Amino acid sequence: MARTARPLLTGLLVPVALAALAGCSGGFPADPDGTLERVTGDVLRVGITDNPPWTEAAGGAPPGGLEAELATEFAGTLDAEVDWTVGSEEVLIRDLEAGELDLVVGGFTGRSPWSKQAALTTPYTTVPDEQGKPEPHVMAAPLGENAFLVRLETFLLQNHRDVLP
Amino acid sequence: MSRRTAERGGGVTFGHTELPDEQSAALRRAIRLAWGTIGFLLVGVTLVYLVMGSSQAMKAAWAEDLLSFIPPISFLVAVRFARRRPTTAHPYGYHRSVGIGHLVAAAALLTMGAFLVVDSGSGLLAAEHPPVGVMHLGDQVFWAGWPMIAAMVVTGIPPVLLGRAKMPLARTLHDRVLYADADMNKADWMTALGSVVGILGIGAGLWWADSAAALFISVSILRDGITNLRVAAGALMDARATTVDGDEPHPLTAEVDERLRALPWVEDARSRIRDQGHVFHVESFVVPRGGRAPGLRELGDAREAAISLDWKVQDLVVVPVAELPEEMLPSVAAEAGEDEQRPGR
Repeated sequence: MARTARPLLTGLLVPVALAALAGCSGGFPADPDGTLERVTGDVLRVGITDNPPWTEAAGGAPPGGLEAELATEFAGTLDAEVDWTVGSEEVLIRDLEAGELDLVVGGFTGRSPWSKQAALTTPYTTVPDEQGKPEPHVMAAPLGENAFLVRLETFLLQNHRDVLP
Repeated sequence: MSRRTAERGGGVTFGHTELPDEQSAALRRAIRLAWGTIGFLLVGVTLVYLVMGSSQAMKAAWAEDLLSFIPPISFLVAVRFARRRPTTAHPYGYHRSVGIGHLVAAAALLTMGAFLVVDSGSGLLAAEHPPVGVMHLGDQVFWAGWPMIAAMVVTGIPPVLLGRAKMPLARTLHDRVLYADADMNKADWMTALGSVVGILGIGAGLWWADSAAALFISVSILRDGITNLRVAAGALMDARATTVDGDEPHPLTAEVDERLRALPWVEDARSRIRDQGHVFHVESFVVPRGGRAPGLRELGDAREAAISLDWKVQDLVVVPVAELPEEMLPSVAAEAGEDEQRPGR
């Protein structure tokens, strides 16, 4: 039944496979837009929205809170400086989508509605919310920048698994 | 009506048709394989769901696995009904349950194929970049693409073996649902390979590879749906009997006519045959030599001669006529070979 479709399918899949293999040279998985490479040794552009105790970004003081510290430490592992942008969640996520930010922190949880607009990391810690239900915490990275995402998630899981704010 | 039934009795039947040993064995094996397929799919669907993440290609492959439940279930249900004996309310028996099962499976394939084509096509158009991060087992942190690839390899191979085992049984039993099931199973490695390529593509930084692979998987599901819908609808519309793949007219049509024409008192004979599911219903029109009406014994022998050809031919009526009725036999009026290019429609 699909027999006629198969040679066609094979004909199209093989070049993709070869292209995929050819792309392996630049690290695996790779970033389509080269985020990790650009950030390394340069600047990590982090969006932050006030959500204590995870993030504190009110007033003119430099950003603080657990996730701000984590972002700074992560930037350090890449020899990068942090360039903070303070704003509302929606504005920051839109900037992330537009490629103007590399990371957004704000005490996001696994229930965050932004999963279509941002790559939410795998939960690095789970703490009870106000109702006492366990709530997994995540950060937001650009969609599809998988080398960057994997580096960030590995950093969080290996160095800060189950941290408490 | 059914001398063969009366003589042997007690074996496996489709309606009042007693199955020969070969078909009985094939049916038992096919039923075992259908349950085996369902068992395998339960494991496969769970496994793929656990590792699927946000890959479009994995989602398409998962949807196909879910859809793969429909043909074996349809087969089991259809066979259960088809084995019932005809009743006063259902004088033709329950053979059409096969056609219904086939139609349901085809409609499901078509719907899901169309949905997935739109879903993955829009992903491609919107340039969605699928994120695939890490998974962790204890302290081991690894790229989530690897378990996806492993799941695809593990779930990609057994269906091919199941499909290869079912295909000859589908031919033996003349069962279209089983045939569609076997054909989908056999094509499953293509889906698995497509997903693996899509995920390797994501890994290589080619964001479009995943959606493209998903699109090809969806198109193949859609094509399966269209082909099956056409064959299933044709069978329910009483199209002439075709081989189980729907590709060509069934050779039994010509064999029945030849057998009847070979009788000494018959000048010409032509039948119309519809496929009820597993078995055929045959109306044979015979023109006696010299316009002499045949006796009851001659008619009875003619029927026996025809139904001894194949187990599928049991429900057969012989109608003596002065000349072949064109309004009931379009093939008499048609030029020889005119219809042959459009089988199964």
